[in-house]
Amino acid sequence: MDYQAVLAFLSASFGKELVDYIVKFMPKQAVCSVSPLGNLYVVFLGQTDRTILIDAHMDEVHLLVTGVDEDGFVHVDRCGGVDTRILPGCAVTLWGQKPLYGIFCNMPPHLKNGNQDEVLPCNQMGIDIGLTKEQADLLVQPGDTVTFRHQITTLQQGRIAAKSMDNRAGIAALLRLSQLLTMDRLPPVTVVLQFSVLEETSGRFAGAVTGGFYHQPTEALVVDASFDQYPASSYATPGALGKGAMIGFSPILSNRISNRLRQIAQEQQLPFTEEVLGGRTGTNADGLCSVAAGIPTGLISYPIRNMHTPVEVVDPVDLETVAQLLFAYVMEGGVTQ
Amino acid sequence: MKPMLTLLEELTNAFGPSGNEEAVRSLILSYIQDYARCEVDALGNIIAYKTGKKRPQKHLMLDAHMDEVGMIVTSILPNGMLRFAPIGGITTEALIGKRVTFGEMEGVIGCVPIHLLPADEKNKLPAYDKLLIDIGADSEQQAARWVQPGAVCTFKNEFLTFGEHRIQAKALDDRAGCAILIDMIRRKQPYDMTFTFTVREEVGLLGAKTAAFQVAPDAALVLETTTAADIAGVAAQQQVCALGKGTVISFMDHATLYDSHYYHHAFEVAARHAIPCQAKRAVAGGNNAGAIHASRGGIPTLALSLPCRYLHSAACVIDEDDLQATAELAQTLACSICAGELDSGHNGC
Repeated sequence: MDYQAVLAFLSASFGKELVDYIVKFMPKQAVCSVSPLGNLYVVFLGQTDRTILIDAHMDEVHLLVTGVDEDGFVHVDRCGGVDTRILPGCAVTLWGQKPLYGIFCNMPPHLKNGNQDEVLPCNQMGIDIGLTKEQADLLVQPGDTVTFRHQITTLQQGRIAAKSMDNRAGIAALLRLSQLLTMDRLPPVTVVLQFSVLEETSGRFAGAVTGGFYHQPTEALVVDASFDQYPASSYATPGALGKGAMIGFSPILSNRISNRLRQIAQEQQLPFTEEVLGGRTGTNADGLCSVAAGIPTGLISYPIRNMHTPVEVVDPVDLETVAQLLFAYVMEGGVTQ
Repeated sequence: MKPMLTLLEELTNAFGPSGNEEAVRSLILSYIQDYARCEVDALGNIIAYKTGKKRPQKHLMLDAHMDEVGMIVTSILPNGMLRFAPIGGITTEALIGKRVTFGEMEGVIGCVPIHLLPADEKNKLPAYDKLLIDIGADSEQQAARWVQPGAVCTFKNEFLTFGEHRIQAKALDDRAGCAILIDMIRRKQPYDMTFTFTVREEVGLLGAKTAAFQVAPDAALVLETTTAADIAGVAAQQQVCALGKGTVISFMDHATLYDSHYYHHAFEVAARHAIPCQAKRAVAGGNNAGAIHASRGGIPTLALSLPCRYLHSAACVIDEDDLQATAELAQTLACSICAGELDSGHNGC
């Protein structure tokens, strides 16, 4: 799969356009449907009805318009954990009556009055769209979506930096998985790919858990972004770009699933690291594991840099590893026989 | 006639951090060498002698700088990321989460993810020395295949127009000034004038200093951009100047106390020709006039600036109307000075 081309498209699109792209990518035998909250489900029938659910969230952190001030500057608030440190001088797209270019105001240094390292809260910043209030009011209204402007930066070793790699890179891995699933025999279990909404914003993982309830899988795997080691940070993580999938280990996850994933990776010589946490993972796994009577859940992550900024860096090598690991796991039928 | 916006797009897309202006110089020479006698001096300045219809009363030098702010790689870390120093004044805010280009190669300036910061650091920008350029290498040896200490990069951004006749691009400081001067050179001029496209403004006005020494003019006009803080969160009296209100004429900044006769004359000329202009309402910033006015025995100098939001960042913003106004005022004021309409009021030596 041409990861760079796929990631470029995934990065740029959201909402209906994104759903349509995924549906179009899926093979004919996959059955697609959309849930009342907007999850996209893609079902690959297997040799049995027993279901493994593979979840990747489809939403991205972004901003929402709260209003336009007298001078035509647009004000916003956050929808999900946008990193506000990068907002000054950040280029955005306002999805109003038509897409509008905007730039977050940044204060000239001589006006900062010694508070050089201060970061304004998001709702105190303004976006410059180059219009008067009267002109802006015709095109922009409260509730309109604002995303980072779509720009791809190509780095060495096939890596790219782009907006929304959390979790479009995970979606790319699932698109790759869909190719692998139809190459050979039917999987022993029914596989549901769940592209869920409301991960970044819903404290209760409303998208993922409602899908878990609906499909009643015997086990679930979640694919999401995690942290690459950053040199200036005291946070130690084994995750590193190019070192493969990050297999999650945590008391809230299923040890059987985590161990089996690790064994498969070792047997198939897929590059991996272990991401070990003492409790909650900060992903949809936290919700899925306690849906209804409970679902044994695993977590496979891929490392990214600069999470929740317009320059999230991913390595396609890691995404291919995630796809291969998922494929090997489901073709065995999982651990909950 | 190349339209001004096309010229500006080509100029802003060219790579030219201070000390590394080759690409910009070649581009500018390609525009002007058929219209003026051009020399390139020891530091890389272009000095273009334009013949007009008449010899002027005063030999005028018009200057714009070719260089832009950027970053220079100071060392390569064991993990393949690059430490850097700014070229020119760039704030942490302007750098964090932005893209850079080395010409062919690209990179990004990232940061420790906010999720991993202790609570007291989440609302603060990182220290300058925590900013690193990521080119996608995993080790020092690997990175060394593509970049060495001393390599230079700048913001990566594309030129575009937006809103109501607004322009955003990198390096509008001072490619906008360059565009105006190129346009003047390509037209028939009533008087002989000398145009300089200078290097290394952002690191100490060095090109202008040496160009002024060589040209030895009687008067000088500097075409620049200046900070417009007419943005959200800034009180009216702090805004310095505003987009759409015309050319900015400065009475003083941190590098120059401008000749007050020249200052007032510029407003008169603008009024005579109905060209919108505004005073710079702060003592802030500095430009090549600082070096030029103190050259040799002294050269009366004025700066005409475009108001520009978000100076020294990846996305500077100017207004097309201001660009037009500044081009007109530069032309009319230049002719006025060449015609001898202006005496600085001080005796010549």
